Amino acid sequence: MIDGSSFFIFGMVAAVSFFAGRDFVAQRAEEAIMPGPGLTSMRQLSDYFPPLRGTAGDTGIFVFEGAEAGGNVLILGGAHPNEPAGYVSAILLIENVRLARGRLFVVPRANASGFTHGDPQEGAPQRFGIETPQGTRFFRLGSRVTNSIHQWPDPTLYITPTGQKLAGIEARNLNRAYPGLPRGSLTERVAHAVMELIRKERIDLGIDLHESAPEYPVINAIVFHENSSDLAALAQMALQGEGYEFRLEASPQNLRGLSHREWGDAAGIKAVLIETPNASHGRIKGRPSASLVVDGRDPYYVKAAGLGRLFVPFGPEGIPLRHRVARHLAGVEAVLGALSELEPEKAVGLEGLPSAADVEAQGLGAFLRPPRL
Amino acid sequence: MKYAYHLIVAYLTLHVGWYILREKSFWKQAGAGLVLILFVLRLLLIQ
Ligand SMILES: [Zn+2]
Repeated sequence: MIDGSSFFIFGMVAAVSFFAGRDFVAQRAEEAIMPGPGLTSMRQLSDYFPPLRGTAGDTGIFVFEGAEAGGNVLILGGAHPNEPAGYVSAILLIENVRLARGRLFVVPRANASGFTHGDPQEGAPQRFGIETPQGTRFFRLGSRVTNSIHQWPDPTLYITPTGQKLAGIEARNLNRAYPGLPRGSLTERVAHAVMELIRKERIDLGIDLHESAPEYPVINAIVFHENSSDLAALAQMALQGEGYEFRLEASPQNLRGLSHREWGDAAGIKAVLIETPNASHGRIKGRPSASLVVDGRDPYYVKAAGLGRLFVPFGPEGIPLRHRVARHLAGVEAVLGALSELEPEKAVGLEGLPSAADVEAQGLGAFLRPPRL
Repeated sequence: MKYAYHLIVAYLTLHVGWYILREKSFWKQAGAGLVLILFVLRLLLIQ
């Protein structure tokens, strides 16, 4: 009945399906984040908007509370899961900081669904590794947008909750969905839940961590809501003193749906977004790889820089992840410092934050907990 | 809807499997095997 050759073919089909399927499903697993002793409690985004419970949009919130009263700050990483510096910076914060004063809420995987897949036709790696003294820790590289398994189909034209018209795929972009809709798409419900968190915890300042391609003009930048212009300017001066050049970009009034616009407009909080340059999601790059994500070296970007096409310097040494994360951490520290100068009663006393200089010198692995083997 | 889709993909998967059993030429079996991988993956990973 089953002859030798069909038996062989079925065996090959089973083997290939098993390994390919296992590889594919592995994308949906969340890697462990190992909070330091400073963590005071864990919450879920669905605690602030219960309909999100059990959906792919629910995600963990790491809460740090100081003994003294102060301000409330929200830090978002992973709003765009293909921008690893924001995600890794949030994890570094979670694994290192303690709070003396005020409260800090860190959401490392703001668009959790976006971490479960990759951008089609990009050939991007599924994960990248960071060496720690005890071994390599791996982190997911996801997609810019929500997984279409969780939100489908895309409209031809996406109209954001505040009326901006965008291309259809932006319907799955968390950073175009604010202030969200309680009965909207999954992405809009996640955005609504973030707004609920901001309102219910009386957040004073929100910091959204992102990366952009080196050929994109808004880069090495602090984008600020107009209510936070003095905050951003003070932070920029402090960063300049440390040797980090950041440009200041005012959030355009007519560009809707973005965190730095709608958090300020809808909830009245101070809002800034920090951008670092990431060659791995630019359009000029050569072959994508985990090393491009981590080491940030790419000969085509060097060439483009030589032709004056980029908005950041780009040499053969590249722009490594450790430098991008150091920039984010320096940015967070400077913005928090500016907050305590401008509104001392809303100060947040952050301790244990790795200094940007130490991250640059010792690498990310020195500040990450050992991998769970 | 999800179950209807499962049934359609299961039917096509079985159909390709049956083709491999009937076919005598090894290379035609191998070609159908490649198609079968796609159907098996789709069948198992439907969400
Ligand atoms: Zn982004």
